[in-house]
Amino acid sequence: MTDKFYEFFCPVKVIAGKAALEHIPYELSGLAAKRPMIITDKGVRAAGLLDPVVSACEESGLDIVSIYDDVPPDSSKAVVRDIAGIYRSEKCDSIIAVGGGSAIDTAKAVNILVSEGGDDIAKYSGAGVLKHPLKPFFVVPTTAGTGSEVTAVAVIADTEKHVKLPFTSSFLLPNAAIIDPRMTLTLPPHITAATAMDALTHATEAFTCMAKNPLSDAYATAAIKKITGNLLKVMDSPKDADGRLELAQASTMAGIAFSNSMVGLVHALGHATGAICHLPHGLCMSLYLPYVLEYNLETIREPLGELLLYLDGADVYAATPASRRAEAAISAIRRMRDALYKRCELPRTLKETGKVLESQLDDIARAALDDGAIMFNPKEVSLDDAKAVLARAWA
Amino acid sequence: MLAKRIQPMFFQARRLYVELMFQVMGRALQAVSEIDETVQQEANALPEGFLFEMMVMPDGARLIVEHTGNGRFRYLGDSAPRAVDLSIQFKHIAHAFLVLSFQEKTSVAFANDRMLVDGDISRAIRMTRILNRLEAFILPKLIAKRAVKEYPENIHLPEKLLNAARIYLKVATNFVETVKA
Repeated sequence: MTDKFYEFFCPVKVIAGKAALEHIPYELSGLAAKRPMIITDKGVRAAGLLDPVVSACEESGLDIVSIYDDVPPDSSKAVVRDIAGIYRSEKCDSIIAVGGGSAIDTAKAVNILVSEGGDDIAKYSGAGVLKHPLKPFFVVPTTAGTGSEVTAVAVIADTEKHVKLPFTSSFLLPNAAIIDPRMTLTLPPHITAATAMDALTHATEAFTCMAKNPLSDAYATAAIKKITGNLLKVMDSPKDADGRLELAQASTMAGIAFSNSMVGLVHALGHATGAICHLPHGLCMSLYLPYVLEYNLETIREPLGELLLYLDGADVYAATPASRRAEAAISAIRRMRDALYKRCELPRTLKETGKVLESQLDDIARAALDDGAIMFNPKEVSLDDAKAVLARAWA
Repeated sequence: MLAKRIQPMFFQARRLYVELMFQVMGRALQAVSEIDETVQQEANALPEGFLFEMMVMPDGARLIVEHTGNGRFRYLGDSAPRAVDLSIQFKHIAHAFLVLSFQEKTSVAFANDRMLVDGDISRAIRMTRILNRLEAFILPKLIAKRAVKEYPENIHLPEKLLNAARIYLKVATNFVETVKA
């Protein structure tokens, strides 16, 4: 009897492509929602990204009842409570998150409070606490990397206790994710590069870590193909709407992949580095990916070799002996990083970031060992192993 | 027909096996924390009074240990004096049996969604490292390799045998004391 087992779940309706935003009114009406609230941040508003969302709704006679545009980069319990208060006083009945990871996580947490009641979001922290569907919730991502529009988790800071509160429930998943190329068209080059590398890391770890499964594999490989085929094109022609859409879809697909098969040591090191050195998440992913793949190499030789097909194309895959494909896959990722460095100076080593001290590496290693992602890394990681990977990533 | 008759006996035997393994593991966790410095260092990062639980959902067998300070655990049996701080919950007794009979590694069980973590994930990772080290000591290498992701190369045979003997002795003593009490 087989000993294989997996679970796969993604009930999010994906609405992607040209004029996707204009589907929002119809989709909301299908859920009997008439009074939506938008949750976003100042950067999104300043970039003019709210205008097409609002006008798409107003043109269909759907008024946006309230817009909260002050979500900070690291959202807190107080922010969630305040937004929930506005939602209630304005008698809203649905939420549209427009933004990146923080706005989306905040909106997920607000949806818990306004659906379940109360003012203390900490009460709902943990896994499986929620037992009922929440209010209608749509997500419009404005970066192509986090995949938060298809993940069942949210993280909110408890600034009084200095801890991060995790929330995990399939009820956090939005009813729909709206992927419109207009939303990522103005992303600056270094954010385009870092977020795309974030998505590439999601897909690569999903395909090589312990909880990989046939369905997440399909999403992961398709995402990698879209990223390698379009990232440099978009870097050279930022207004390439087709390329932008491909990257945004890749991000969503990579999000579906990793939320069903988890991630590994790249994320463990990245989370630790982000917490200690305050480096952006996507940059950390780009930075650590090849070094961790080298560390895991003998455990993941077969799946990593398969990825060469999607990273470098059929010709290179066919011309590379099977025994060398895993190394060639890592080389392809390194070439991608070099090309991005040339275009926007996206750092390839910790030293190149200019924000990490060599004396911080031990703290990063220790913090990484306690990160949840390390559980799913295919190879056991000791403190010395983590330090060795960091030393290689240093310069 | 025969299979149908045997099935209830199998279920009963499986339940008893899981209960017994939890009792052994709970006592062994206490024992290993008394003799192994690495485990003590890992446990020392947990707050004093920290309560750890492993259980089978919805209300099946369970083990509870408390961190009493200085990296030492105390086995509390199957009832906690207050709300536990961290609970690792098997979704079904069949999943607990797979792990406790070393047919599925703990890490694979996590990856396969056999278990839920209620509490701080980083502490769950720490407790898993402690459990892995315990298993590396008390199980024969061939079986331990089936239980942990990677058998630690730095545990050599004399250390393993000595520690295993000390842990089993402490577990046996604890069992006798429990029966006497």
